[in-house]
Amino acid sequence: MNSSLPRQAASTPPGADRHWQRLSARMIWVDLAQSILSLLPAVIAVWVIGVDPGTGQIWPLVGLAAVGVLGAIADALRWVFTRYRITASHVELKTGVLLRAHRSIQRDRVRSVDIEAKLRHRLSGLRVVKIGAGQQAADGESALAFDALSAVDARSLHERLLNPVEEPSDRGGSARQGDESSIAAPDPPLTVFARFQPRWVVYNVFNIWVYVLALGFGWGAYWLLGAFGVNVVDLVGRLLDWDSLGWTGTAAVALAAITLIGAAGLAVTYFAEYWNFELARVRGAEGTMLRTRQGLLTTREVNRDEDRIRGIQISEPVLWRWMGVSDTTVITTGLSMWSMAQPAGILPRGPVAAARRIASEVLDAEEDPFQAPLVKHPAAALRRRLWWATALSACIGLSLAWLAATGVLPHGAIWAAAVFWPCSLGAAYIAYRALGHAIVGRYLVTRSGLVSRATTVLQRSSVSTIVIRESLLQRRLGLRTVSTMTAAGYGGYVTPDIEARKSLAFALRAAPGVLEPFLTAHDNSELAPVKSPGPTRPHREA
Amino acid sequence: MSAAIDDLPMPDLRPPKHRVERRAIGWWMLQSMLLAGPILAATTTAYILWEAARPWSLVAVIASSALLVAGVMIEPLWRYRVHRWETTDEAVYARTGWLVREWRAAPLSRVQTVDALQGPVEQLLGLSTLRVTTASSGGAIDIGGLDKDTAARIAKELTLIAQLTPGDAT
Repeated sequence: MNSSLPRQAASTPPGADRHWQRLSARMIWVDLAQSILSLLPAVIAVWVIGVDPGTGQIWPLVGLAAVGVLGAIADALRWVFTRYRITASHVELKTGVLLRAHRSIQRDRVRSVDIEAKLRHRLSGLRVVKIGAGQQAADGESALAFDALSAVDARSLHERLLNPVEEPSDRGGSARQGDESSIAAPDPPLTVFARFQPRWVVYNVFNIWVYVLALGFGWGAYWLLGAFGVNVVDLVGRLLDWDSLGWTGTAAVALAAITLIGAAGLAVTYFAEYWNFELARVRGAEGTMLRTRQGLLTTREVNRDEDRIRGIQISEPVLWRWMGVSDTTVITTGLSMWSMAQPAGILPRGPVAAARRIASEVLDAEEDPFQAPLVKHPAAALRRRLWWATALSACIGLSLAWLAATGVLPHGAIWAAAVFWPCSLGAAYIAYRALGHAIVGRYLVTRSGLVSRATTVLQRSSVSTIVIRESLLQRRLGLRTVSTMTAAGYGGYVTPDIEARKSLAFALRAAPGVLEPFLTAHDNSELAPVKSPGPTRPHREA
Repeated sequence: MSAAIDDLPMPDLRPPKHRVERRAIGWWMLQSMLLAGPILAATTTAYILWEAARPWSLVAVIASSALLVAGVMIEPLWRYRVHRWETTDEAVYARTGWLVREWRAAPLSRVQTVDALQGPVEQLLGLSTLRVTTASSGGAIDIGGLDKDTAARIAKELTLIAQLTPGDAT
């Protein structure tokens, strides 16, 4: 970040920590093993099975070998050119072969230290440590990743960065001592909220990804088996007498087979990803942390500073609402909401009743915001949705009519709009039913969403900007939308279509003290005279 | 809880104290012209040159003329009636929009930056936009159409007040 930082750090008295250190040397052995392993399938295919290397079938295996070996070489080069050090004030990392990068994070800015391990890391006793400094996803700045350290070094780095108390003199000797004890007994949790539930696998196999996964699996099997001289198409053709089934039968069997393969894949993924799952509250550097640990082959540990958690969101996808599928995420500052790894997710996909119970325990509020009755929105909110659904259907109908008139589409296509209209009206009703809001103690609760009905519980004190919106149609229907903007999570949470008369009351209570100076002198005249004109006396009125 | 909300007396939001500069009408007109003008030019060119598409390109020409007329004749005057702003020792408060109205308020204790920005058209008219950002990605308040000296002065004053609040304002 700043080139002056390392020089400044170097001027502090030398100690074990001042020296630049390499990542674990065991990485080289792992890279060597990876090269050999990735060459193995091609070698077996040619020498053991006797596939003719001249034919195209061998190319997938050659590609696999090339990717494996090149990846290993790149990884080894990265090891050669990477150095890191932990000084009293900074964490620094120098890396890059051609494009050298020198990054440093102030130690008091460190918000999260996460430990991950893929299978190869676990087999070789290595761990990947990711250090986050509360960077926002929008900044495009990733956490510092130490890939990889030995398990002992990783644990000691974690302890030293998150518990600075253990390192009073900041000398190498004392830090070493800390390592030993922390490896022997990693922090016992204060409270355990949830553990791995094998039954929840049901909630994880019902997913649209089933088809993507099955297609990927089928494609991979076709290519790999093809390289070994097995023709998958022939094999499948001989399984059943397809001609007697006819087109519908074939399609039905294919759909069922794909669904089963995909569901089995998702079930395996669930067990592999969430094996040994534990959500617990642990002691952190200052205050407490919410920690998740999970993984069978690849293990992952994420620590979230509880001081930065502003609320919890539970979302229920519309297709599986009948079985109560829900995802639970914390609303917190300094964690990316858009990352594939989803560091804000604190539970695997599971039953909504359990998710609500666990979320309430995590929030630990006197009055449970997830059980509070929500205020219903007026019928006008339903009318607005029905109008929009009708307008959208009309637009689609007009576009189709135009395409039919110009001869691009057959005239029958216009009927699609006629089918779309009742569907969109149904969707409008579902979206209306999802609406609700309430103020419960320190929290505001708001629920909305068609595709995914999200119940958001947000600390009222975390609201930084309050926005009230009113479109022309909303004004006619007597509705207003209140948005509560906050630094955490998605940045803002919307409560659409509150009755106009009540919207201000909700806005006032959602962000205490923000709007009070800007009320009319209705019946509480002491509020009316606006606070002293302040620094900006009315200038020239235009 | 709902009962408690009902029991509250029902005051309403009062409009913010100050209007924006009258010159802002010209600014909005120019903006609409810069946006809708090229669209109208493109559709007209298509109408003249491409005979096969005549009946449909006429619709496009009419629609883009309507867009231009609304953008130049209606939107700026409507916006001038709606846009208002106010700052106090504690908060920034603004009302914007025309078809969709928006009231935004943020306490100065949550403000992270206050900037006076000038686009090319604004520089021409001596106007400035005051942008007040909070730690939230959706929490910024933009007040366009201020006199550039006023905007610069307010930016300086608000920055001073915002700095008095300790913490990282999240």
